[in-house]
Amino acid sequence: MAVEAQVPYQEAIDVHHPHSWLARYWFSQDHKVIAIQYGITAIGVGLVALVLSGMMRLQLGFPDSFDFIDPEAYYQFITMHGMIMVIYLLTALLLGGFGNYLVPLMCGARDMVFPFVNMISYHVYFVSVLILLASYFVPGGPTGAGWTLYPPQAILTGTPGVDWGILTMLVSLAVFIVAFTMGGLNYVTTILQARTRGMSLMRMPLSIWGIFMATVLGLLAFPALFVSAVMMILDKTIGTSFFMPAISSLGEQLDYSGGSPLLFQHLFWFFGHPEVYIVALPAFGIVSDLISTHARKNIFGYRMMVWAIVAIGVLSFIVWAHHMYVSGMHPYFGFFFATTTLIIAVPTAIKVYNWTLTLLRANIHMTVPMLFSIAFVITFVVGGLTGLFLGNVIVDVPLSDTYFVVAHFHMVMGVSPILVIFGAIYHWYPKMTGKMLDDRIGQLHFWITFLGTYAIYYPMHYLGFVGVPRRYFANGEMAIIDESVILLNQGITIAALIVGVAQILFIWNLIYSYYRGRDSGPNPWKATTLEWQTPETPPRHGNWESRLPTVYRWAYDYSVPGAKDDFIPQSEPSAGEREGAPLA
Amino acid sequence: MAEATSTQRLQLVEDWAADVAVFRGVPWGKAMMWIFLLSDTFIFSCFLTSYMTVRMTSAEAWPNPSEVFALEAFGVPVPLLLIAIMTFILISSSGTMAMAVNMGYRRKRVGAALLMVVTALFGASFVGMQAFEWYKLIVEEGVRPWGNPMGAAQFGSCFFMITGFHGLHVSAGVVYLLIVAYRVWRGRYEEKGYDIVEITGLYWHFVDLVWVFIFAFFYLW
Amino acid sequence: MAETGQQHPISIYFWIWGLLFVFSAASYMVDYAGFQGYLRWSLIIIFMMLKAGFIVAIFMHMRWERVALITAIMLPPGALLVLVCLMAWESDYTWETRIVYLGAEIAPEPLPPPSHH
Ligand code: HEM
Ligand SMILES: [Cu+2]
Repeated sequence: MAVEAQVPYQEAIDVHHPHSWLARYWFSQDHKVIAIQYGITAIGVGLVALVLSGMMRLQLGFPDSFDFIDPEAYYQFITMHGMIMVIYLLTALLLGGFGNYLVPLMCGARDMVFPFVNMISYHVYFVSVLILLASYFVPGGPTGAGWTLYPPQAILTGTPGVDWGILTMLVSLAVFIVAFTMGGLNYVTTILQARTRGMSLMRMPLSIWGIFMATVLGLLAFPALFVSAVMMILDKTIGTSFFMPAISSLGEQLDYSGGSPLLFQHLFWFFGHPEVYIVALPAFGIVSDLISTHARKNIFGYRMMVWAIVAIGVLSFIVWAHHMYVSGMHPYFGFFFATTTLIIAVPTAIKVYNWTLTLLRANIHMTVPMLFSIAFVITFVVGGLTGLFLGNVIVDVPLSDTYFVVAHFHMVMGVSPILVIFGAIYHWYPKMTGKMLDDRIGQLHFWITFLGTYAIYYPMHYLGFVGVPRRYFANGEMAIIDESVILLNQGITIAALIVGVAQILFIWNLIYSYYRGRDSGPNPWKATTLEWQTPETPPRHGNWESRLPTVYRWAYDYSVPGAKDDFIPQSEPSAGEREGAPLA
Repeated sequence: MAEATSTQRLQLVEDWAADVAVFRGVPWGKAMMWIFLLSDTFIFSCFLTSYMTVRMTSAEAWPNPSEVFALEAFGVPVPLLLIAIMTFILISSSGTMAMAVNMGYRRKRVGAALLMVVTALFGASFVGMQAFEWYKLIVEEGVRPWGNPMGAAQFGSCFFMITGFHGLHVSAGVVYLLIVAYRVWRGRYEEKGYDIVEITGLYWHFVDLVWVFIFAFFYLW
Repeated sequence: MAETGQQHPISIYFWIWGLLFVFSAASYMVDYAGFQGYLRWSLIIIFMMLKAGFIVAIFMHMRWERVALITAIMLPPGALLVLVCLMAWESDYTWETRIVYLGAEIAPEPLPPPSHH
């Protein structure tokens, strides 16, 4: 009903059939083009962050060997690396990239509900990236405040980039949030209001559930970051004291008085914790679909998976201060937040069990996406378990601000989602281009990346236990630093450099396969979801022919006994089934 | 009554379980506006929560808004006089907006356009009075974002930031209203229908709604 | 119903308009009469919630929307309630530490605005 009425289908196709390169690739309102724009920009800026991490590793592994890395530069690397990875790479790639590509296709829509707003969303995101990168060209360079940007230190003399860098960072974040909001409103509205006939919420692929919940979290959590960015800009530029207490700097009493640095931390983490799930939930969803498809078996406990996503989303708003156990906040808060944090582990654990149970006695195809998916499950378990340590106040106090924390968050929100992203790109590249990615390069890329990341992060847990502090430029002659630390740091650096360089394989594969890859056909993985049933590959603007597909079943009909293939597409009615008959 | 709630509960489950659209009969634009307003609620709430926090943690005196925002009328200072007028103006604008929506759905497009223009005028006068209030505060009372002669510096910071952000919303709303009013008047929505007036109205009422909270928490606390 | 747009008799809008005036005037009077303490707070918050409720329910037509939309919009702000309550609690604690450890004075009186000297 409403679908046909609200999509001016022919009109949409006619109005913007592309004429020039610019109209086709820059001012395109096609969600698939916008997705690829988001993807390329995010990967590009992500490579910058990767190079920055390499430089940090050089310094940590071989201190005093590199003249161009002084403490200032190191802090700038750390800050830009962390912020780019979390926001401009992962958030943008998972939601702007995969969200844009998959939502209309998997829901059976022609496009996002407001394609023009969607296009502007990308342009604004692009501007935010430019502002961020401009940090390197302003006097004083980018801010070195750490990705958490805590005041008072973020805007006091002594922190690198205090003149301009902190402002470009804050403005860039505010602009990013505007871009995200425009895109996010589109994804949510499309999922809620523009699914095709038969695609009830409980038949949606888990990818869409993850993207949906993550976007909702984004729309509700980014406001806190936006507000804190605005207030910090005011503190910095016109001298208000929202976050700045009475303070003296370099022996001089400053004009600030009465502000609350703790307020910033609370606002930041009210955003920051949901942000972890903004990155994790799409990865959870996507990996569920990858596992099910490449193991030719229905996902175990679909409903439980959906409710777990919802529960995690809700709970993620009441755990934020587990990042603040050592901040000097109200002493009773530790109890409250440790409790909620341990509760959120329950739905998370359910998801892990369900992935494992899906794999149990399945017909596992060791394709590249499957390799990455299994790697994800293993890595996520490691990162999740260390999270239980850090969630408890007493255990966290000695571990806080050590390399144990660095190891934990890289495992759980760095490596894990990245593994899923790689898997997802290997999985959906054929739909985006009509070509398969090269399998042998893929395998090589996988093994180097997977083993390499363990070589990097596993030893970091140990570094944390022996007390190596986080965010230190050099450990010098500290008495607590063991001999073994020096050796390990060298090993980690070598591993990091190998992993970093190995990503060239991946980029090469993307480019090479685009021109020379094997033709994939419309559905190389024999998958059930709607995007594989499009009339053309890659799908054209408008996605479907004059009629939208109708959905008759859930997304996980693999290896159904008695069926002629080992998969049944969502759009296929079974013999004698009435239209829209409920799922058995 | 009990029956009504149980059918409503059923309806809730049915709607969320339905295919195609969860919000039955709600146009895309309206659904999107509601979700945007939800997001904007979080923005304003974070501003107000920050204000609460700095005010409650302040060890310095908080200036008394009822005195600070008093206005001389007939030789006596009347507390919050201008604020009261501004409040009434904004409420009235919400009233005219609601009528405009009604007119739109009844396809009286000239009436709808006119009422929207009236709404916009109310909005513009609100912004004008706010400008006057800022002027008075800065020039006469010596309040600055970074300090003031009466007490805690955060008084000025919060005031300018929150009313400023609200004022920006009102100003944007005035422009939005005028654009839509013009299009309504030109008959652009004769075929598509007048949902757009309701959507614009949602935004406008939301701005009024935010003011309700600012009025209570900033001026009356 | 919703399918044909939100159609309601004009009179209800006039009623609400009037009520909003009354509640605004009432909350203004709370300040004018100089009520303090819990009385002031409960009155202000009651009037505020009434005004907000009427604006959302009638002017924004929430009352006539389907439950699915109502729940989707009204439940998420619960997260804000948690934030506000915890921050109020936190603020009290910060304030106490300022009094105890930083030697700040308890509740000094504000100076009058300069123009009223
Ligand atoms: C090969 C890949 C990576 C390497 C070698 C690497 C290396 C590093 C290093 C050396 C630090 C500084 C630790 C310190 O001195 O305390 C760091 C910090 C950080 N990294 Fe990574 N990283 C990588 C990938 C990622 C990814 C994918 C993410 C995405 C979440 C990420 C997020 C962060 C964050 C948030 C910080 C904290 C920054 C701060 O302390 O302000 N990293 N990383
Ligand atoms: Cu967290």
